[in-house]
Amino acid sequence: MKISILYGTETGNAEMLAEDIQAELDAAHDVTCDNLADTDPTALDPTRFYLLVCSTYGDGELPASAQPFAEAIDKAGPDLSNVHFAIFGLGDSEYHETFNGGPKRLAELMIARGARQIGDRIAHDASGPDLAEDIAFPWAEQVLAEAEERLGAPA
Amino acid sequence: MTGKIAIVGAGPSGCFLAQALLKAAPDLEVDLIDALPVPYGLVRYGVAADHQGTKAVTRQFARVFERQGARFFGNLCIGRDISLDDLRAAYDVVVLAAGMSVDNRLGVPGGDLEGVYGAGRITRALYEHPDAEALPDLGSHPLIVGNGNVAIDLLRLLAKQPEELAGSDLGPGPSDWLARSGIETITVTGRSPAARAKFDPVMIKELAKLGGVSIRVIGAGEAPDDEAAKRLDALAVIDGHGDGPRKIDFRFELTPAEVLGAAGKVTGMRFSTAAGDAQHIACSSVLTAIGFGPADDLPREALIAAAADREAGALAPGLYATGWFRRGPRGTIPDNRADAQALAGRILAEISASPAKPGRGLFDGRPGIVDYDGWCRIDAAETAAPSQGRCRIKIPTRTGMTMAAIEGATSR
Repeated sequence: MKISILYGTETGNAEMLAEDIQAELDAAHDVTCDNLADTDPTALDPTRFYLLVCSTYGDGELPASAQPFAEAIDKAGPDLSNVHFAIFGLGDSEYHETFNGGPKRLAELMIARGARQIGDRIAHDASGPDLAEDIAFPWAEQVLAEAEERLGAPA
Repeated sequence: MTGKIAIVGAGPSGCFLAQALLKAAPDLEVDLIDALPVPYGLVRYGVAADHQGTKAVTRQFARVFERQGARFFGNLCIGRDISLDDLRAAYDVVVLAAGMSVDNRLGVPGGDLEGVYGAGRITRALYEHPDAEALPDLGSHPLIVGNGNVAIDLLRLLAKQPEELAGSDLGPGPSDWLARSGIETITVTGRSPAARAKFDPVMIKELAKLGGVSIRVIGAGEAPDDEAAKRLDALAVIDGHGDGPRKIDFRFELTPAEVLGAAGKVTGMRFSTAAGDAQHIACSSVLTAIGFGPADDLPREALIAAAADREAGALAPGLYATGWFRRGPRGTIPDNRADAQALAGRILAEISASPAKPGRGLFDGRPGIVDYDGWCRIDAAETAAPSQGRCRIKIPTRTGMTMAAIEGATSR
């Protein structure tokens, strides 16, 4: 399957996780990994499956590198109805009120333009006991299995 | 691309710089030098003990050493053990990322009374920095001067009940000190109106989780714009929070005028209000969280004043600065990441390698240096058996750390 991992990061933690997921999936799939800041939402490719990895910053806001992407969605209003994505959040439950506000906003923006989310939006908690990749790798496997069913035969 | 780069200071700015340099040019020799035997600077000794999620950024920094090939030279103070000139002669590029660690002083009459302490002095002691002074008795009513995130961290730690520190890396000594503090009231004062206070709103909202306090926000005023509205909204969330025994008062638009004392000890503070009136607040100690200045190992002011391009962090040929050392003590971890990434681009464009320079060979045969493996042994010793709901028990002394760095090596 053709997979594009897109990360929204502020401290680099989401970038590191995105690269880890790429390394994990690389052997079996065609995987690219890019910063959301360098991604044009009007040029998303319906033949690829998008894995979004996104943190939260400040008061439940999108991290800096996701903001230009969100602004471009708002401005261009692209039709994303053939785009499939799954989303993984990084957060910190010390700030429980705004926990994972960033990925929630990003998913809402995508869905509002017609994009189809596969799997649940799940989140790693930096203040919890698990390492992000220990949650993210099984998540990636699961959403990939679902995506293969939805998008057709694995390429 | 080849070249030898020394980064002075292995805190977040230095680590992010090494990360960005080695990502773009993996063949560079990048050495992170720190005056302490341990890396990560303010992530270890400035990020609050109960903000472990923020400290998770060190997983990235570990990879800079473990996968990207940066080297760590700890327990080596540039400016004392080795001169900056000698370091510059040995490396193609030297970057100063030593941060700022000295508390700014209040600069009002009475500012030197017993009972006036800088926030950095207190937090260094709380986080068991090896050079920290002992934790003092703050009495029943400490008053915090300052409205930045450092002030709020200090407030939160002083206000917490022992069980609210579960999962932190606050050591047994500081935990005991907090548990026995006898603090009844904490007043937090800011010079600005609340609308222009420097704290992040999310830091204020976090106070709504405190169990043993009752919080009052006095005179928060009006919000002139959306940014200010977020601050006032956060303050509105905590105003009236809780009915616990420990009282917390936020007050604004109070400019320090004098620390009042009797028999050489603090008894209160006199402020001037926005209207120019005098206001007295009784207190038992004054904690100043009004920013930091540079340590005196390096002539920071002279270097910055003579900078070729201060905004870009270019001080002189082959000499650069980043992070707080360049900008002053403002900005969080992501700000320093952005700063370091921008500087990495500039260095990569300008570096010219002289293969004859010895680089890290300059440190050959020098005793006492802790390398990255040594830090890993310290880290392992600290996290092997943390007790009492802690994720780490820091080794609080330089000797203890250097022993732990070596002991593992000899017992293997």
